[in-house]
Amino acid sequence: MSEAGTPRDHKAGNAFAHASEAEFARILDFYQVAWEYEPQVFPILWDLDGNVLESFAPDFFLPDLELLIELTTLQQRLVRKKNRKVRRLRELYPNLRIKLFYARDFRALMLKYGRSALVSELSGTLGQVGPRHYAEPGLEGSSAAGPTAVGRQLDLSTGPADAAIDPRASHDRRSRGARRRAVRRAAAAYAPNSTAT
Amino acid sequence: MKHSQDLNEDVGEILLSEDQIRIKVVELGKRISADYAGRELTLVSVLKGSLPFMADLMRQIDLPLRIDLMEVSSYGGTATESSGLVRILKDLSAPIDDRDVLLVEDIIDTGLTLNYLIRYLRGKNPRSIKVCALLDKPARRLVEIPIDYVGFEIPDAFVVGYGLDFGEVYRNLRFVGVLRPEAYES
Repeated sequence: MSEAGTPRDHKAGNAFAHASEAEFARILDFYQVAWEYEPQVFPILWDLDGNVLESFAPDFFLPDLELLIELTTLQQRLVRKKNRKVRRLRELYPNLRIKLFYARDFRALMLKYGRSALVSELSGTLGQVGPRHYAEPGLEGSSAAGPTAVGRQLDLSTGPADAAIDPRASHDRRSRGARRRAVRRAAAAYAPNSTAT
Repeated sequence: MKHSQDLNEDVGEILLSEDQIRIKVVELGKRISADYAGRELTLVSVLKGSLPFMADLMRQIDLPLRIDLMEVSSYGGTATESSGLVRILKDLSAPIDDRDVLLVEDIIDTGLTLNYLIRYLRGKNPRSIKVCALLDKPARRLVEIPIDYVGFEIPDAFVVGYGLDFGEVYRNLRFVGVLRPEAYES
C-alpha cells in the first residue's frame, strides 16, 4: 500500500475549496494548533489491475494530534457520499484517526464563538463564494472588493491583512521538509499493512 | 441577541437540576480529596464559566488548597483580535512550580481552549496538572485530552446556566438547561 497517504503538492493558486475551511483554519490558528490543508491523498478504491479508481483527501491534518478532519457544511442530505468515503477510509486504514465535522458541528462551533451570523453564509454553499457573502456590518473592510481567493476574501472581512489564511502557507512551525516527513511517517503508520505501532 | 426578561422562558429543557449538580459536586469533592490526600492543591478556575462550579467545588474539598483564576480570549474572528491568536487575559497570580494543579472547567467540548491552557501551564513547571470538568460534551471533541474528573457527560446540545452563557447571559441560572433555538436564532 505504498500509495497510502501520498503527500499532495499544492500548486500556486490553489485556495480552500470552501469558505468554512478557511474559517476553521482561522480557529485552529487562533488556538495555535498546527494544521495542514489536504496534505494527503488516500486511495480508497482500485480496479482489478490495481489502478486507483477513487481517492480521498481529507481537508485537514493536525500533525501534533495525528488527526485528520473532513469538514462537510453542505446540507445533510448531500453528505452521504462523504460519509461513505470516510467509512471506506476507516475500513482500509484502521489506525488512522479521522473526524467528520458536519454542518451541525460547524454551526455549533460558530454559535459558541458568537459567529452565528456566518452560519447561514457558510453552510450549504458549494465551493468558493464572493466577498459580498462575507460583508458583515461593522467589520473592517467588509465592503471592499478583494482578490478572488477565498482566503483573501475572508481576510478582508474578518481580519487584518497580515492574518491572511492561505492553505499554501505554513501554519506549522516546522520546516516544510520536516512537515512532509511527519506526514509520510504518519501515512506509513496508518497504512493497513504497516508494522509501525 | 434577544433574551426574555424571565430567563427560564428561554430554556427548553432542564438538563441538570440544582440538586443533581449539588450531589455531583459533593461526589467530585470527595474523590479529589481522597486522590490528593496529604498534598496541597492549587485549583485553577478558567473564567468566566467555571466560577460557580469552582466556588461550590472548593468547599467540598477537605484539603489545604489555593485557588487562582485565569481568563483567555475566545475566538471571535473579528478584526479586533489583532494577533489572531488566543491571548491570556488574566494570568495566574502566584507561581505553580512544583505544585499539584487541578484545572477546573465548566465544560469541555472541542478541547481547543483546554489544550492551549494545559500547554501554557506546563510551561510553569507544576508537579502535576489534572483536569476537572463539570460537563463533558464528547461529540464535539477535536483535541482528545484526558479529563480526570468529569461531572456529567452531556448530549450535543447548546447548554446554559450554572456559569455557562450565551452572549454573557444565563450564567446565573441555578441549573443547566438547553437553550431554545429561538433564543439564539435571529
